[in-house]
Amino acid sequence: MFLASCATAPGPAESVDVDTHVRQPAEQDSAGVQVFPLKNPAVGGLLEDAGRAESDGQYDRAAMLLERALRIQPRNPEVLQRMAEVQLSTGDYEQALNFAVRSYDVGPRVGEICSRNWRTIGVSRENLGDSKGSREALQRARSCMVTKPQGM
Amino acid sequence: MVPWALYLDHQVTTEFEGRKWDLPSRVYARALELYPGAVISPGDLRVELQAAGYRAAARVERPGQYRFSGSAVDVWRRAFHFHDGPKDEARFRVSLNDGAVASLRSQPDGRPIDLVRLEPAQIASIFPLQKEDRTLVAIADAPPLLVTGLQAIEDRNFKHHHGIDLRAIARAMLANLKARRAVQGGSTLTQQLVKNYFLTQDRTLLRKINEAIMALSLEAHYDKAEILEAYVNEVFLGQQGAYAVHGFGRGAEYYFDRPLNRLETHEIALLIGLVKGASYYNPRRHPERAKKRRDLVLSEFAETGLLSAEQARAAMARPLDVTASPRASGTRYPSFIDLVRHQLAQVYDEDDLRTEGLRIFTTLAPAEQEKAQAAVSGGLQDLGKRGLPKNLQGALVLADTSSGEIRALVGDRDPDRPGFNRALNARRQVGSVIKPLVYLLALEHPDDFSLLTPIEDEPVELRQPDGSTWSPRNFDGVSHGRVSLLDALARSYNQATVRLGLQVGLQPLVSRIGQLGVAADIQPLPSVLLGAAELTPLEVTQVYQSIANSGFSVPLRALVAVQSPDGDELVRYPMRLMPQPHRDAIGVLNYALTRVVAEGTAQGLPALLSQNVTVAGKTGTTNDRRDSWFVGYTRNRVATVWVGLDDFSPAGVTGSNAAMRIWGGLFAGLPLEPVDLAVPEGAYYLWVDPESGRLSAEHCEGARQLPFVEGSEPRKWTACAEKSQDRDKESIWKKIFGRDKQ
Repeated sequence: MFLASCATAPGPAESVDVDTHVRQPAEQDSAGVQVFPLKNPAVGGLLEDAGRAESDGQYDRAAMLLERALRIQPRNPEVLQRMAEVQLSTGDYEQALNFAVRSYDVGPRVGEICSRNWRTIGVSRENLGDSKGSREALQRARSCMVTKPQGM
Repeated sequence: MVPWALYLDHQVTTEFEGRKWDLPSRVYARALELYPGAVISPGDLRVELQAAGYRAAARVERPGQYRFSGSAVDVWRRAFHFHDGPKDEARFRVSLNDGAVASLRSQPDGRPIDLVRLEPAQIASIFPLQKEDRTLVAIADAPPLLVTGLQAIEDRNFKHHHGIDLRAIARAMLANLKARRAVQGGSTLTQQLVKNYFLTQDRTLLRKINEAIMALSLEAHYDKAEILEAYVNEVFLGQQGAYAVHGFGRGAEYYFDRPLNRLETHEIALLIGLVKGASYYNPRRHPERAKKRRDLVLSEFAETGLLSAEQARAAMARPLDVTASPRASGTRYPSFIDLVRHQLAQVYDEDDLRTEGLRIFTTLAPAEQEKAQAAVSGGLQDLGKRGLPKNLQGALVLADTSSGEIRALVGDRDPDRPGFNRALNARRQVGSVIKPLVYLLALEHPDDFSLLTPIEDEPVELRQPDGSTWSPRNFDGVSHGRVSLLDALARSYNQATVRLGLQVGLQPLVSRIGQLGVAADIQPLPSVLLGAAELTPLEVTQVYQSIANSGFSVPLRALVAVQSPDGDELVRYPMRLMPQPHRDAIGVLNYALTRVVAEGTAQGLPALLSQNVTVAGKTGTTNDRRDSWFVGYTRNRVATVWVGLDDFSPAGVTGSNAAMRIWGGLFAGLPLEPVDLAVPEGAYYLWVDPESGRLSAEHCEGARQLPFVEGSEPRKWTACAEKSQDRDKESIWKKIFGRDKQ
């Protein structure tokens, strides 16, 4: 079993500024279109608290709050993406990548969150040494405003 | 005289040092989150409250109480240091409707609240490195009323004397003279402690002098807090069979089935009252005597100012509140605690585990654990009545699908019996439970396989490494000819699976099991295709968690965080995602496993569930009916049940006649969400005609939506669908998916 790998290890000191590399460009990609509405107030409150913890640089605390939110709504793409962004801030690129992929899988695959998904994937891949994959991801981010595919 | 005193001094300090208590670690269940929309029945909420040490009360007047009125429950939460920080006490009202929280309001102001947590149940206190558990209490953690009350009743001058209290002795002698018999003892707590160390009925003057000397030397060596702590953990409070109940921590469990720090005033008073004579005042055997004694203690509390007169009266009005009978074993949920120890040891150095008084936060859900235990015990009894062996054993693992947090674990048909934990340690052949992985490997080759690809369910003969021939038969003894992958899996055909498995390869199968998170030693022999691989129920659950969670593996874990006694985080076990390769194929397999339940070997399951929810699962039976497996999942829960005999002898069990019944019994009582049928990028649902294996359209007869990994979809159309399409087949991908096929 792979439990041994799951205790927290301190991440590398380097970290990524999520606003500059993910959120602001994603807003431009999507012209601010927000396709996923938040409905659960409990999750909404936890996201707000996590946002405050994040801006105070308390990433561990932010991650714990997001985990609580994920216990309530495990398939909420916004919560999953926020977790990815927190992991990016702490320099855990592998988990940032994984949470962003999960968010994309369950998310709308279009619009702002789609762009944030792919930008997070891009930055993570870059930091994990996969430059080609990173470029592809940024390409995908820019095409997130393509109309949602039909028939799905 | 001096050498004698030195000798006694040596004796008593050796004894004291030898018994100085290490502080045990406290193990907590998960904290229940309440929010509007949270799915929980009134019954489950009551179980959770009771487990967290709450008491039902006619009026909610203090922390730790609750009251149901109709469909609402008022709760006064205690202040608690959660794994992510301290929280104050809180009063709130939970309104339930239709098995869910309808609204949540703070009390008494009625303001709506979005989210509140109950403090978690304290499920055990353990020494992580020892097998034996004692329930010890640090003096700093003992309820203040216990510490002050004990002195008020037993030794008012404790703070000031040097081990013996001459005034108390004089007072006692006077009283005894008056009464012409021994009615009062003048022993200090320190003397009582010494007496407890060297328990003897001997009441000679010499013995008393010795005790006094030892008390004096204890006081000379140790401070008051150390002595009091030793006393609190040493005092005799009752007899459970052959075992003496020592200490207030154990006493609280023995009489009230709750941790000491969650007792109320009248309960603390009773325990203090028992110090005078635990068997004479035994509250289970002599309730009236016990109540008299308790009320006397309460009035002393009032007299000495520890309680107001009103508080004392209110406490006297309460019943004794002792449980009808003590629980058999000290530790509740021993199988789960066993897993906690196991996972602690995996990630923790032994030296760290020696740290005293750790606070260990776990993932256990008390209400689900109770149901899991009942499902296993009740289910096995029921199977016994149906003619199966009476000594069948069973194991169950229940986890949250997305987080991998283990909510319940049962390792024995008697859930209170510690010992061999089958959920963790029973390595048994898994039978057909392994088959879905054979189909997964096939679906990972979209050029060759889809759910509609035909395979031959015909006899097959294989030369074994030892030279013998292996020719597997189907469960029903019949070969079914040409069948689709979907049908072969749903109906668990052995011959078709072996043929398919030989195409996808044995080594890839063994490697895939490893990728799914199980490091078991499996030989790549053909018999593995039918489950000649030994896994534990926990490992099987790990494999299926990945499938249930759309290909995102999460290590199954019982631990959330470990804190120092002061609440500093020592280690946290965050949720980590491990994406599996070929999640598109896993998405397709996920659908196929729902068909096992809808029309395959587990079609008896929906009737057991009494809820109309899409469920996925797989049965497993081994040679000569030695093992029965069922592993299944919904969007929110994944669980494995194993049933068999410990000595590996034939038990007459099949996947559906034993394990599936227990699984169904458990899941019938859980709030379920239907399986997530969405497929990730790279897979799509298409309308097809399963008969011909061609693309079809929604309005065509016999059309059904099935998922396909891109590239594996049929190329030909049914006549019906062709008529309704414009014939530009080249652009189907463009039309359906808005882009050219890659």
